[in-house]
Amino acid sequence: MTEGTNVPEDLKYSKDHEWVRVEGGLVVVGITDYAQHSLHEITFVELPETGSSVEADTECGLVESMKASSDIFSPLSGNIVEINSNLEDAPELVNEEPYGKGWMFKIKPSNLEAEMSTLMDAKTYSEFIASAE
Amino acid sequence: MNAPFKRTQLYDWHKKHGDIVPFSGWEMPVRYTDIREEHMAVRKGVGIFDTSHMSRFFTKGPQALEFLQTMTSNNVRKLEVNGGHYTTCLNEHGGIHDDLMLYRIDEHEYIWVTNAANGPKISDHLKKHSGQFDMKVEDRTNDITMIAVQGPKAMALLSMIAGRNLAEFNRFTCNLVNLSGDRVYVCRTGYTGEDGAELLLLDTPCSDEGKKRAIAFWELLLEQGRKFGAKPCGLGARNSTRLEAGLVLYGNDIDEQTSPIEARIPYAVKFKVDPHYIGYDKLKRQKEEGVTKTRIGFVMIDRGVPRDAYPILLKGESIGRVSSGMMSPLLRNGIGLAYVKPGVVEEDDTIEVDIKGRLRKARVTKWPFYDPEKYGSARSQ
Repeated sequence: MTEGTNVPEDLKYSKDHEWVRVEGGLVVVGITDYAQHSLHEITFVELPETGSSVEADTECGLVESMKASSDIFSPLSGNIVEINSNLEDAPELVNEEPYGKGWMFKIKPSNLEAEMSTLMDAKTYSEFIASAE
Repeated sequence: MNAPFKRTQLYDWHKKHGDIVPFSGWEMPVRYTDIREEHMAVRKGVGIFDTSHMSRFFTKGPQALEFLQTMTSNNVRKLEVNGGHYTTCLNEHGGIHDDLMLYRIDEHEYIWVTNAANGPKISDHLKKHSGQFDMKVEDRTNDITMIAVQGPKAMALLSMIAGRNLAEFNRFTCNLVNLSGDRVYVCRTGYTGEDGAELLLLDTPCSDEGKKRAIAFWELLLEQGRKFGAKPCGLGARNSTRLEAGLVLYGNDIDEQTSPIEARIPYAVKFKVDPHYIGYDKLKRQKEEGVTKTRIGFVMIDRGVPRDAYPILLKGESIGRVSSGMMSPLLRNGIGLAYVKPGVVEEDDTIEVDIKGRLRKARVTKWPFYDPEKYGSARSQ
């Protein structure tokens, strides 16, 4: 299934299948193409509240598919500064554009450098999902 | 080495076009494209399901009726030739051993169609109790392909293939019809809430020739069904359509510890029957003295998707558990079935569902969950 899975070069990845993109001083987070493909029909997304603080590797939201309920883990620590409210009415955006319109939330990171170093680059993540098959 | 899972006559087609999952000892398609699209095909056009994994027992002989009446809770004597009804098979405590469709196809011959998961258990149960009756039980699961054709346009599709109006057969009848050269029992029943039929293809055993014939028939349905919006549907849409209709699933909503009275399926239970069925006395007592749990339906008020086993609360106090829950593809809202203490809630009351530690409001509602004026077999045409 990993064949044809999109793993963009310019992102970092967590073992929980979230991706991270640094934009200015903020970090954009979503779930990977591999994750959305494994879940299939995504019917509901619950995101952390704007203004709340999150910690790396802790549960901060929920993705529901026709198949199952899965937790979203924050890949980094910090404050939630923005969430993708379009996902409330259109959760299928996560299936359609996991790295684009399906993004989930933006964090103002509190420990960026140290925590970024624990995430995987595209090559390592590709190997990680291949070994999970 | 033997394959650990069984495969239906249509397996090769499913493997080529769908996602295969293990289910009750079978390898079955869970989806072909998208569960929501398949679900909506059932509600608006036609959905075509392979249901050959269900078990089929033929019961034949002068005392078949008496035997089946000791085994099942509906009134078998009321079943006319070419009639069918939904019924339950109970254990001695009144719990549901199995739920099934029973069709009478001849004066002394009946077909018992049931859950794949219960097949082996029911085979043993029927064998154990059949000794004293002048009749025979034959497991013909592997001899027959079974296909469910469901949706508001299902009967138009089948009528076109048959070259005659099959909608003239009433709901809950079962008639032998020639469909494109195949001998087929057309049972006007289903598990989606929609109009349609369940087809038993008598000439399609699990041989190379039978498989070829079954696949040709399946492809004919899809080909001819194109103009009716027909789609092949997997187990995903089978579960989502039945839950939207409020129909119980064995293992989730009913089991050995749940009676048909608790499950609120009164149409499957009759007390003026002769002879009495196994579990009769316990059931009668429940009817007279009441039960300790009862099935309700609910729709989410707050955002959230209920799932099996989530706790149900009323004003902070636990009153039961979810037995089936999901995001309804039609309502685009969370719906569920639950068992709660009897008498504590009624329709339109607000309850709470504990979704992973967060209490979310829901409204108690009757089923089906869709508007029966717009969807389902009773819709205005």
